[in-house]
Amino acid sequence: MVAHVAGVFDEKLNEAIANSKILVVGAGGIGCEILKNLVLTGFPQIEIIDLDTIDVSNLNRQFLFHKEHVGKSKAQVARDSALSFNPNVNIVAHHDSVISNDYGVSYFKQFNIVLNALDNRVARNHVNRMCLAANVPLIETGTAGYAGQVELIKKGLTQCYECQPKAAQKTFPGCTIRNTPSEPIHCIVWAKHLFNQLFGEEDPDQDVSPDTADPEAAGEAGSSALTSETTSDGNIQRKSTRAWAAETNYDPEKLFIKLFHDDIRYLLSMENLWKKRRPPTPLSWDKLSGKDDPPAQHSGLPDQRVWSVAECVKVLTTSCKALAEDLKSRADGDHLVWDKDEKNAMDFVTACANIRAHIFNIPLKSRFEIKSMAGNIIPAIATANAIVAGLAVLRAQAILKDEIETCTSVYLRPKLNHRGQLFVPEKNGGELQEMITKINDSVNKRGIKVNVSMNKVMVFQRGKSMNECDIYIEALTPSNPKCYVCAPKPEVGLACNLKQLTLKDLNSALKDGLNMQAPDATVEGKGLVVLSSEPGETEHNNDKTLEELGLNDGCALMVDDFLQNYEVRVRLQHEDEEKNWRLVTDSDAPMPAPKENEKPTNGSNGEPKPGPSRPRHDSDSDMEIIEEDDDGEIIKPPKRRRTEISDEVVELC
Amino acid sequence: MVENNEIELSEAEAEQYDRQIRLWGLESQKRLRASKVLIIGLSGLGAETAKNVILSGVKSVCLLDSEKLKEVDLYSQFLAPPNKIGENRAEISLPRARALNPMVDITSETTSVDDLPDSYFTQFDIVCATELKQEQLERINNVCRDHNKKFLCGDVWGTFGYMFADLVDHEYSEEIIQHKAAKRGPDDTQKNAGETVTITVKRRAIYVPLQNALSADWTKPELRSRLRRGDPSYFIMKILMRFRDENDRNPDPSKRKADTEALLSMRNELVKELSLPAGFVSDALLKDVFGSVAGAAAVVGGVIGQEVVKAMSQREPPHNNMFFFNPLKCVGFVELYGQ
Repeated sequence: MVAHVAGVFDEKLNEAIANSKILVVGAGGIGCEILKNLVLTGFPQIEIIDLDTIDVSNLNRQFLFHKEHVGKSKAQVARDSALSFNPNVNIVAHHDSVISNDYGVSYFKQFNIVLNALDNRVARNHVNRMCLAANVPLIETGTAGYAGQVELIKKGLTQCYECQPKAAQKTFPGCTIRNTPSEPIHCIVWAKHLFNQLFGEEDPDQDVSPDTADPEAAGEAGSSALTSETTSDGNIQRKSTRAWAAETNYDPEKLFIKLFHDDIRYLLSMENLWKKRRPPTPLSWDKLSGKDDPPAQHSGLPDQRVWSVAECVKVLTTSCKALAEDLKSRADGDHLVWDKDEKNAMDFVTACANIRAHIFNIPLKSRFEIKSMAGNIIPAIATANAIVAGLAVLRAQAILKDEIETCTSVYLRPKLNHRGQLFVPEKNGGELQEMITKINDSVNKRGIKVNVSMNKVMVFQRGKSMNECDIYIEALTPSNPKCYVCAPKPEVGLACNLKQLTLKDLNSALKDGLNMQAPDATVEGKGLVVLSSEPGETEHNNDKTLEELGLNDGCALMVDDFLQNYEVRVRLQHEDEEKNWRLVTDSDAPMPAPKENEKPTNGSNGEPKPGPSRPRHDSDSDMEIIEEDDDGEIIKPPKRRRTEISDEVVELC
Repeated sequence: MVENNEIELSEAEAEQYDRQIRLWGLESQKRLRASKVLIIGLSGLGAETAKNVILSGVKSVCLLDSEKLKEVDLYSQFLAPPNKIGENRAEISLPRARALNPMVDITSETTSVDDLPDSYFTQFDIVCATELKQEQLERINNVCRDHNKKFLCGDVWGTFGYMFADLVDHEYSEEIIQHKAAKRGPDDTQKNAGETVTITVKRRAIYVPLQNALSADWTKPELRSRLRRGDPSYFIMKILMRFRDENDRNPDPSKRKADTEALLSMRNELVKELSLPAGFVSDALLKDVFGSVAGAAAVVGGVIGQEVVKAMSQREPPHNNMFFFNPLKCVGFVELYGQ
């Protein structure tokens, strides 16, 4: 099969490799490296799935791709390149999303091991469930900057990817975004919302106009504004921003006056807001400061220069016109999708965020920095990916050698820990392995047979015979018995206002909160179908509230996802004050908030904050699940629980 | 030291290196772009190191090797096409190495290191050597040292690997995160408490040459106490280096049984020589030291690649001075030897 030299591996491993079939999910930074290692090691049957195409910013690490491949399928090009390392192996490439009916439980069952090299939580959660359902070992990998992680997930043996709640994505209250921004990120979020309001998919939760329902301004909200002469066209507040912009033919000047003058005047009229804050300053289109100033001296990348407000207005004008043209050229009802790599879209957000920042006395940021924050870019380098992928494939070899019990999680640390370790195995799996070896080495000499099994409670068992003893050692992290994914009977609470939450909202709660693809829900004990994933079956009830559907506090739904082969019991908990919904798990740790205003990265000060995950459509980096040091001097041992780090925004010279 | 290149990055460079500039900064990228790297030994580890260094965007990489490609190399040497068995490893690695990053100048050299004059090695800013004998490594290390050039070496045997670094007298900057003192201003609330600031500090690290690290005196109590940590990797490296020096080759997969026996008896000698505790250097690590396994080459090549980046960009603390990858524990750690 494969150009093999006898004696590199022992016979047992050679045979196990020759008979193995491996799935790699993701052909990005880690995926390319994993594929290379598998092919060189001689794994004869490999499938690789990736829906992405190659971008020029991938080329610094995704080494199976070259400049001429930009725009092509990652899975396909990765396959072709890897085959040149070893033409004797068989690689099947799928340019596809792994979340698809084509890759059901029976598809997963054909593999001995699945290796995840993904960049988003949604796909990770999905593959986690598929591997649990198919009972296939999953090696989950990720990197963020210098750091990385390799983790084994096996049903009944280890915790699953969803056993521990992940850090919630950082969200901002709507009124901070719309009324009282105080940090650059607030303005960036606002500018992205504005993009969607004008050119993208309109979302009522992404309103950019002043929020008169701001509790801080309660009572007098806008009362003086309504009588004020400057808001004579105050009626635009009630019209959709998109409709208004279309009427004005996306005239940048009119847009500017509304957003950066009229709306700001309106905000100023909400006087309570400015009692303890520095009030914003409305801008006039024809009286822009610094209009004639030459650009400041700058060294560094052109994108790292901070634009003056006048420059921002110029960029706003050009990008707004270009985006309006683009939108017009599309079919009715079609819209643009914001993309950090799309020049006009990125220019527009940079310009609008900075103009708004200027108005609110917030420091302006360069296009380079705003791209990191708006695009949730996690820096990625070849070396960390290479290390993590190397460890992952060595773990795969250990599984094939029947040493799955030794496969503890391994963390690649950005800096050495206090013991001088760069790769830190979780707990003491490695030391146990060493210990077992020593026991065997020394005890065997005395003719005693020692049976060592790992991942069980440590007991010394006597009495089989004088010359035999069993040792059980726990090395892997066991699953959370209350996990709502891998527990034998998964269960979770859903807190919501049953008088307000509609069936449609329930559907999105199950999809966004429980990461289901096509949920079906029946009332427990009654078998009554409340929600069906079959088109046309329950859609007529979409706008009915759960109460109207006869569901009340304490009643339980059995919710099932056919593709994921996953069923969970969802207890409904009525709460008058719950505006939306939230998951209630038995562990005390909070679950991710259901509604995300935005998924920003951390601020410009480089402070590692508990991590937001990336939006599901982002595909730029390789992952996020690392505990980051908050102090460069003190290095903590690896945490058992997954936490995420946000982007490292690097101070640039 | 690498001269600081003041020429700005081109748009193409900024695009291609975007994700790493966001990690290590523009200044580091400029320093990398001025660096000349020599990679000796195009084994799997050499190929992995070359890949990482080329992708990072250095000025030039020279691949130096007088050896021919063997079938066993194909377990990890992905720069060499599998149909080129018997041809010079450096030369046949050139096309794929160049395709990794057309912005890097890549050349090859097929003369044996023993036939190259000292002045050959000092034209580079950093030398990474693999698959050489101890004597050859020490010679090149000392030449580099005399000219204040950086030297790294390493090897992968089976799934085990190590790296040694001699950056001579190395200055670098390091980012330290400090907690901001909570302000007590009139319009300042609790908000600033717990905020952090990143400051950059200049640091300096002094290294020792390879011969010091390899002749570490295990009778000294400070080294003796290290035995309590229980990791025998240093000795595994010593045994494998000694095997190569004595046999003029690495352990051979086709002589798996005989070579394992030879390694185990060399282990016994070393244990006696350094009076190490019985059983300290267990058999397990010496049983899978044949060829170089892709995963392990990727791991050690990743570490060496990152050390080249750190050394050339003078950013972040480099490892001082030995790194070991123990595949049984799946642990990678750094220890200082010979000081």
